Amino acid sequence: MTDRVFLCRCEDVTLSEIDHAIDEDLTSVEEIKRYTGLGTGPCQGRECIGPLACLLVRRGLADPSTIQPFTARPPAEPVTFGALAGTQPPFFADSSADWTVHRDPDTAAEEPDP
Amino acid sequence: MRKVRPLFELRAPIADSDAVTIEYGGQTLHALAGEPLSSALLRAGILATTRSPKYRRPRGPYCLRGECGSCQVRIDGEPNIRACTTPVRDGLKVEAQNQWGPAGLDPTPIVDSLFRDGIDHHHLVVRPRLANAVMQRVARTMTGFGVLPDAASTAPATSHEHRPQVLIVGSGSAGRAAACALERAGIEALTIDRLDRRTLETSPGALPAGLLSGVGVFAAYPQEGLWAAAAAPLSTAAGDLALHIIRPQHVILAVGGREPMLPIANNDLPGVVSARGLVHLLRRGEVRAAAPVIVIGDGDHAEALAQELGAQRFASDEVRRITGGDTVDGVELADRRVPCRLVALAPTPAPVHELAAQAGGRLRFDGHGFAVVTDDVGRVESSEGGAREAAPWTLWACGDVRGWRGPAASAADGETTAAAIGATIRAELERAPSAGAER
Repeated sequence: MTDRVFLCRCEDVTLSEIDHAIDEDLTSVEEIKRYTGLGTGPCQGRECIGPLACLLVRRGLADPSTIQPFTARPPAEPVTFGALAGTQPPFFADSSADWTVHRDPDTAAEEPDP
Repeated sequence: MRKVRPLFELRAPIADSDAVTIEYGGQTLHALAGEPLSSALLRAGILATTRSPKYRRPRGPYCLRGECGSCQVRIDGEPNIRACTTPVRDGLKVEAQNQWGPAGLDPTPIVDSLFRDGIDHHHLVVRPRLANAVMQRVARTMTGFGVLPDAASTAPATSHEHRPQVLIVGSGSAGRAAACALERAGIEALTIDRLDRRTLETSPGALPAGLLSGVGVFAAYPQEGLWAAAAAPLSTAAGDLALHIIRPQHVILAVGGREPMLPIANNDLPGVVSARGLVHLLRRGEVRAAAPVIVIGDGDHAEALAQELGAQRFASDEVRRITGGDTVDGVELADRRVPCRLVALAPTPAPVHELAAQAGGRLRFDGHGFAVVTDDVGRVESSEGGAREAAPWTLWACGDVRGWRGPAASAADGETTAAAIGATIRAELERAPSAGAER
């Protein structure tokens, strides 16, 4: 097998690919994520964001006092669409609103589809 | 088939009451009911269950505790299920995924040898357009032979709403210390941890009374005023899709740390695992390692793990590369090669920052990852532009999520935060005695 140093195993992003991105003048966490796909696999950056930040700081490309990770969007743990779809009232319903109104055929007809 | 000594073996023969059989790619495996599926696979010498998206390298269990995602398998026709967080049940039908063609005959690994210098998909066959279109199609197919589930799920979806005074996310050292302290103070707390109870019981300290185990908190929604958690798919015998919605007054993030990748050549080979994950697997007491382990890592943390594993340790800068073909066969140092079949990586854990970030907490780079910034007692500072003003809860953090400090210091941290929450709740009651009386 070819010797490869992985930073992101999920998306197969190696140290040499990070070097390549830096050579292309992409030196921030966000730019490197977008160019290489680092952090976009099943673990969502859990394994690679720390090593990437360390690398950028060590090479003087990022300021350790201001560097931030890429946005951590939900879900942070696996959840199925089935679980989200199965909730009553709907997952994102305003808790103060009477959600049953949306099930009323007369009202529903007047409202655009969500 | 080549007969090799297994990497792991059972500590005791399986009692009849716990004996189950599962199927892996047509092979029947004997397993222990309730053991992690990854443990049953590793015992059977199955180290790789999938291939990586780009270079098509073999991958299998690595973190052993639900962090990484490289142990994903297809179970009972459902793809992308983590083997390490799936407890074994009788009759599970497990299949490899992201493979092409019959087992062992997948031709795609040739990519790894062809592109020795890496693949830059932004520049590879960009012109002419027709060639690019063909290239895109090949690449997309190779990136994942993602096969949909055999059938739509008929598992019942259940939802549960909780309104505890305090939500504690994580029941490691910090979380359980905080939970026990709150319990003693008569404050109602709900503790949620994504690991199963059996694994949690192997760590020191009493488990909290109100514990929801095997359930992962997957999001904080400050605007909606809720935290959401779900059981891992197929983790329960009933297979129900349980969703938990939590509307707490206080939240303690005690989610701890996780292992960042150590940048060493071939750190992805099957047989390379996380040292902390391996320690947790062995502490369950079902299996022991039957082959020598080499630990790679620096400092006291790595040394403690090496001692618990009875393993030889090398500092990360001593190791030139990990060697092996489809699995690990050794570690190459500057002057020699040390043979082994298991390599355990022991980097200093990085804080699990994601939920804190979603909840609008401030983060700082701590040299390993991003730690949550708090005051002395654990009250989380807001990030600039964070949505905390809108949140109907007070956010706290304790333990390794504030930066790695180890189990003893984390437990002390948990007690400090619990005491501060107790004081806050008492002060609120004194300010609004009538509201307190209504509760």
